[in-house]
Amino acid sequence: MNFNFSFAIEIVPRVLEGIGNTVMIAIISFIGAAALGLFWELLRRSHATVRPVVQFVIDAIRSTPALVQIYFLFFVLPYYGVTLPALLVGSFGLSFYYSGYMSEVFKAGIDAVPAGQSEAAQSLGLSWADMIRFVILPQMLRNVAAPLGAYSISILKSTPLLAVISVPELLGSALDVASDTYRYAEPMFDVGVLFLAMSLVAVAGITQLERRLGLTAPSH
Amino acid sequence: MALQTNSCSGNAAVTMEQLCKWYGSFQVLHNVDLSVAVGERIVVCGPSGSGKSTLVRCINQLETHEKGRLIVNGVELYKGMKGLAELRRDVGMVFQQFNLFPHLTVLDNCTLALVRARKLARDQAEEIAMENLKKVRIPEQAHKFPTQLSGGQQQRVAIARALCMKPKLMLFDEPTSALDPEMIKEVLDVMTELARDGMTMICVTHEMGFAREVADRIIFMDSGRIIEQAAPSKFFKNPEHPRAQQFLGQMLH
Ligand SMILES: Nc1ncnc2c1ncn2[C@@H]1O[C@H](COP(=O)(O)OP(=O)(O)O)[C@@H](O)[C@H]1O
Ligand SMILES: [Mg+2]
Repeated sequence: MNFNFSFAIEIVPRVLEGIGNTVMIAIISFIGAAALGLFWELLRRSHATVRPVVQFVIDAIRSTPALVQIYFLFFVLPYYGVTLPALLVGSFGLSFYYSGYMSEVFKAGIDAVPAGQSEAAQSLGLSWADMIRFVILPQMLRNVAAPLGAYSISILKSTPLLAVISVPELLGSALDVASDTYRYAEPMFDVGVLFLAMSLVAVAGITQLERRLGLTAPSH
Repeated sequence: MALQTNSCSGNAAVTMEQLCKWYGSFQVLHNVDLSVAVGERIVVCGPSGSGKSTLVRCINQLETHEKGRLIVNGVELYKGMKGLAELRRDVGMVFQQFNLFPHLTVLDNCTLALVRARKLARDQAEEIAMENLKKVRIPEQAHKFPTQLSGGQQQRVAIARALCMKPKLMLFDEPTSALDPEMIKEVLDVMTELARDGMTMICVTHEMGFAREVADRIIFMDSGRIIEQAAPSKFFKNPEHPRAQQFLGQMLH
């Protein structure tokens, strides 16, 4: 069976059915991972006593395959009476998995803010929460923009993992086409090209965003 | 438990009794006794590594002490105490490296704590900020970012930012050491004016001209101890301790 280019084009509309979900999963997972990652990091910093506990959680998250975490959530949550749409369970799984990595990004980003900044904030009598919110986080944001951008692409490329719990995303709709037509090469080719296109768009968007962040306030 | 210790501190801004501090096993402060009266201007000097920064940073608990007592503005401070943020609002601090917030304009640097900590309305906070920027003679820079200013200007903004909180006490840790020589005077002038207005000040500085003109008392530190304290006239003319003599010899020649 040879690769049939016109067939690859012909099935694009059917493969594309999943793209909306793919983008949605990527966005939800990115926001979820960033929020949860920041939460881990702030929790890790807040008290010396909780620090090792949070560190253990982060290490555990990062040492287990994302696929296993997603399966686990999908099959275990219903036992506890939590039945959510597969798309949400999957997005939460990806958020959870990537939050472990994001917390390390935020750690490095906060560490890179000079100690003098928190000393100045403290000496002015700002509360801990205000110091984090108005002094540390805005400066951290510039430090983490690049690595967060890179993780947003990783997350996008991990969305096909959700095909295993039957979320109708790009890979899922491509597999549907494949099982209908008994041709795999063309649907997978389409999926690859579509991910390449989305990644390129995302990279361009991130570059724009970084340029804007760099412009609005001078660093150092 | 924050003790109100009016009885033993009288009108002292700062009282230290047998203050000790360690970094790990290294003792930085050895039984430091010091009392600073309200309105008094103190200059702290001594060789590098003698514990001047540590001493000053204990006063607003950027460093905590392990032994002895420390009473600031009538409240005893100790490790892990509650309400520290509130107490710090009455103690201004100016750092060697300015430590302005680079992502905020000069004006927002000054208003942040007024709005968030003092809970003032925005326009009220801006009014106070502009007053203090005028006092340090850079109101026209209010809408610039710190990195657009010279070192001397940045340090004057840092002073204005601290003054906005209407502190009862100002701490300076080598405020001119990071400045180019031609900018030192503009900062010292502002500090001198502040002293004339009656501000209680504790300044770590090696600007001996400033010390002579402004200080009520000079504290000389060596190896974590205060080994001499005297009025400037006495300190500069005939310091008692050999280490102080040696230090002055290096400073003045
Ligand atoms: N965070 C720290 N950890 C360990 N040692 C420190 C720390 N900060 C200062 N020291 C040491 O404490 C001593 C006093 O430091 P410091 O108060 O900064 O002195 P000064 O301001 O007089 O130069 C120095 O020997 C310094 O190396
Ligand atoms: Mg020092």
